[in-house]
Parts: sequence; C-alpha cells; structure tokens
Amino acid sequence: MSGGLLEGRLIVVVGAGGVGKTTLAAALALASAKQGRRTLVMTFDPSLRLKDALGVGASAKDKPIRVIEDGPGFLDAALLDAKRTFDRLIRTYAPDAAAAKRIFSNRFYRDMAGNLSGILEYMAMERLFEMQASGRYDRVILDTPPTTQAMEFLQAPDRMMNLVDSKAIRFALDPWWDGKGKKSLAFRVVAKGALELSDRIIGRQFVLDVVEFIRAFAPLFEGFRSRALEVRNLLLSSDTQFLLVAGPGADRVPDAMFFLRKLAETGHHLGPILVNQVHPTPDPNAGKSPGMTLLHFLAERDQRGLKLLSSLFPGAQAIIPVALEPLPPADLKSLGQFSERLMKSKPIK
Amino acid sequence: MSALARLAEWQLLVVTGKGGVGKTTLTAVLGRLLAGRGKRVLLLEVDPRESLHQVLGTDPSGGEIVQAGPRLFIQNLQPGAVIEEMVRDKVSIAYLARKITESTAFHQFIEGAPGLKETALLGHAYRMLHSGRPKVDLVILDAPATGHGATMLAAPGLLAKAAEGGQLGALAADLAAFLADPSRCGVVLATLAEEMPVQETLELIDLLQARLGIRPALIVANGLYPSVDEATPPGRSTDFLRARHQLNESELARLMEAWDGPLCHLPLLPLERGPTLVAELARLLSEADP
Repeated sequence: MSGGLLEGRLIVVVGAGGVGKTTLAAALALASAKQGRRTLVMTFDPSLRLKDALGVGASAKDKPIRVIEDGPGFLDAALLDAKRTFDRLIRTYAPDAAAAKRIFSNRFYRDMAGNLSGILEYMAMERLFEMQASGRYDRVILDTPPTTQAMEFLQAPDRMMNLVDSKAIRFALDPWWDGKGKKSLAFRVVAKGALELSDRIIGRQFVLDVVEFIRAFAPLFEGFRSRALEVRNLLLSSDTQFLLVAGPGADRVPDAMFFLRKLAETGHHLGPILVNQVHPTPDPNAGKSPGMTLLHFLAERDQRGLKLLSSLFPGAQAIIPVALEPLPPADLKSLGQFSERLMKSKPIK
Repeated sequence: MSALARLAEWQLLVVTGKGGVGKTTLTAVLGRLLAGRGKRVLLLEVDPRESLHQVLGTDPSGGEIVQAGPRLFIQNLQPGAVIEEMVRDKVSIAYLARKITESTAFHQFIEGAPGLKETALLGHAYRMLHSGRPKVDLVILDAPATGHGATMLAAPGLLAKAAEGGQLGALAADLAAFLADPSRCGVVLATLAEEMPVQETLELIDLLQARLGIRPALIVANGLYPSVDEATPPGRSTDFLRARHQLNESELARLMEAWDGPLCHLPLLPLERGPTLVAELARLLSEADP
C-alpha cells in the first residue's frame, strides 16, 4: 500500500515554487510505469539534469518521448510549450488556412499572445486534454507550472469561457467599428466615449490591433468554449487526483494551507499530501559541530512543521513526509532509487 | 567601489530568482542593510500572501505603507488597486471613474492586457521615488519568481510598443527607459547553490541580457550548508551534511564558470525566519561585500 499516491487516470502535482514538484512527478511516473501502466509525465521546462535523467530534449516539445519500457508498462515524457500549443490550437480550430494566417500575422498575437495572463496555464490544460483523450495512456501525471498566484491553471478553463462570452469582446465584434453597422444614438455615445478614452489613455493603434485580433479569433470561439468546458470536467472528475507538495518547516505551512483551501473550495479531489525535503534527525553520536547543530535545528524545525500541518488540516488525507535527498537524482538509475524510497514512505496520519 | 556601495547608489532594485530561494528574506536583508547605511528605503511586495512584515517583525501592510525600522518602510501592493488609482487620477469626474472601475469590461481589460499590471506596479515604484510620501531614496521590489520576474521587467517595453501614441504608451516608454538605465536601476538575483536554482539563474542571466540588455548587479547564493571538519565522527548524518556541502560547492563552481560578476554567499543558519535572522544575514552580507 503506497498511501494512495498512484490513484486515478490523471494525477495533478501542485504546490509552491521550489518544493520539488518536478522531481516528484517524474519519480511517481516511473513508479507507475513499473506497475505496468502506460504512463505519461508532462512537465514545464524541467532542469537540464532532469531532462538528461529522463533522456528527453527539446524534441519532447512536439511529441512525447519514450523514457523506459517495462513489460506492459512504459513511461513517456512531454515538455509543455504554451506558444506552440496555442499555434496548434489555432490551426485546429480555424475554419480555413486564411483565417489561421490572419491570426498568425496579427501584431498583437505575435508580440503578446505568449504573455497573455493565464494563457500558459490554459495551454497546459489544453495539451493535457489532448494527451488524455488520445487513449494511448492509462495514466497521465502533470507537473503544474510555477505560478505566483498559485492555482491559476485551475481557473484557466473558466477564464477562457468568460473571456469568450465577455461584453468587451462582443463590443469589439460590433460592425459599428468599421462604420458599417447602424446603431442607436445611445450606443454611439457610449462607443464614442470608449473610443475617446482609448485614444487618450491607451492609444488607438493598440485598440485597433486588439479589435483585429479578436475578430480574426472569433470563428474559433465556439471550439474554444466547448473544449474549455471539457477540460473543466476532466479536472473535476473523480478519476483525477490532486497531489499537494509542500516544503518542510513551519514557515511553509501557510502556503500549503492556502492550496488546500483552494482545492477544497473548487471541489477538486485531493490525494495524500507530500511534505518534501524533510531533514533527517542527526545520529545521537554525531557530535556537536556547527554543522550538526544546524542539522538538529533543521530536523526539529521540519518535524514541527509536520505537526503543525497535521493539526491544522482537518481532512482525512494522509500526510506523507519525504526525506531530503543528500543529492538530487541525476540519472534514471538514481531517479528509480528515489522513486522506490518515495513509494515506501509512511504517512504520519 | 564595492558591490553593496554600488547598490546604495541606485533608485530601484529588483530582487528575483526561482521560487523558494529566499527572495523575500533577501529583500528584507538588503532593506535593513541599506537603511542602516543612511538610505531611506521602501520595500515593495507584490505577492498577495503577505510575508515581508513577518520577516521584519512588523504589522502587515494591507496596501498601506508601514514603517519597519529607522528609514525602512514596507508596502504590499496589488496591481488592481494601483490601476484603479490611475483611472481616478485621469478621469476627473468621480461618477464616471467609478462606472469604469466597477465595470466587468474594465476588469477583463486589466486581466487581459499584457504587461499592464506589471507596468502599473513598476510605475508605482517610480512615483514613490519622485513624489511619494514618505520620501524615499531607494525602492526594493520583491519581484515574482524567475520567468514572471523577467516578464515584469520586459512589460513596460512591450506595452510602450503596443500602446504607442497614447498616454499609457508614453508612461510605459518612460518606465522602460528608467529600467534600462544602469545608473538608476539594478537587478539582484537570489539563488540556492543547488542544481535547478543555479540552472534557472544561468538561464535568467542570458534572458535578461538578450531581452533587456540588463546585467545583474549582484547574485546572492542563499542557504549554504557549512563544511564538515575532519574531526566530526563518521556516520549517516556526517555523510548527509558532507554531501549537501559538496553539492553547494560544485553548483557554486558551475555558477562561477558562467558568471564573473559580484557574488555573495549566505549560510543556512539555525534561526527561524524573522527579524533576528534578517539582522544576522545583513551583518554577514555586509562583511562578505564583494
């Protein structure tokens, strides 16, 4: 029994920056493949060494790369690239090549689409759905993007739907902008006000670029909306498990509680909580050098953090401490050893 | 001139780095250190989950400017609030301003317009330097993590290009020029001497150079494990500490192969995150001044 670490067809690994999500996602994926599952791990730009460990390079941005094959199970790895996914999506949903070309040549899309807030998160979800729906995998493990606002990717499908339905977009699509549409006086006054405000503060060319972008994009909206809805349902499915990774120590507990509250509010299914990078308690005969004093402090601090988290978190989920590795896994062999230790970790509750 | 003396000459310092490497603590340490050298310093925090006040042992800001020591102030700032203030400033009729800031279209525009939120935050820092109350000589911005931090610094340039001709574009262009001026603005990178943070730091150095022509003013390697002396009895814990120290050493060596600029080392200390830790790190940083 692994404490339910590997359950469900989709496992989403979440947590603050720097807590070791990528390495844990890779280790879990390896364990899943060894259990005979056809597994895919998707990650955002992992470190070079982990790329080496998994044996994947930039080519994994276009299609998943086979890492290991083990009987019936195997492990594929894919790297996420928001701009490429966005481009591919446009090619998929554009009614014809000319419509796609209009978007690709729009100044706003070229300069900014990759920077649009929430786009990175949405594109991760989009690619995830594509892979999940392909039928090639029994299990997909997603290492979520580093976000400062934490759970942006959970809201990404809703935001995409809101954007498509928004008044601002309707407004931009109105033929009045070309002088072709006939409109009531009231509309003209409001629109004139908006135009003047945009002239004075934002700049007309910017507004026109955005309007042009939205118009080129409009034929794709229906496709985007229905896909966003499917992505949302996938995330809420009972076959999707969220694994929260927290850093050690009492300092990190508020971060973990923030994620737990968010997941509870949104109704996503929470699996065990992993508290990563926990320092080992020094041997009793290790002496009293400055290094050992520090290690005593760190081990005690991390234990206090675990106690605090389990006292504050009322849920039934297991809290599993994962020991800090003296050296991070650098190849498939050390990742495999880490993966075995991880699967044997005992929960504290 | 030493690296820290140079930092004190600047008007805006942007602290960034990978998530979890101690950016907020470093912001507090630099603030305490430079305020101690006679500068009036404002620390700006953009993370909505406030923690700067805890590190400095003071009251939370909740958007207001709070004094955290002699010549040292902190403020937690949300971009939405800054932008609304900007609109109220530009639109003289209060009723109209309220109509705008309450509309969903306005909020969608803020969310959607690339670079707007980031530009507004940097614009606030710029205003605080020129006409703020209290008057400050230096603003230290605890910026978002690596990728987002670089996006933030690039935002005014992008927005200036996109919104050319309007007031917003002009404001963004002024800001972009300010950020690109190496005599007024500097970037400080925080890192750990571990594989992924060092990798991200190296990538960020290249990215800042390629996209913005910025070379970091200082890199601070945080949380270093001490060396283990020969007399320590052998065993599991000794091996553990030795491995962590060696990892730090080899990653520092890798960093220094690619970076010949100022670099400071800060040790991992047996102290809780808080004012005592900040004071101790400020003292050590001052001694280690490259």
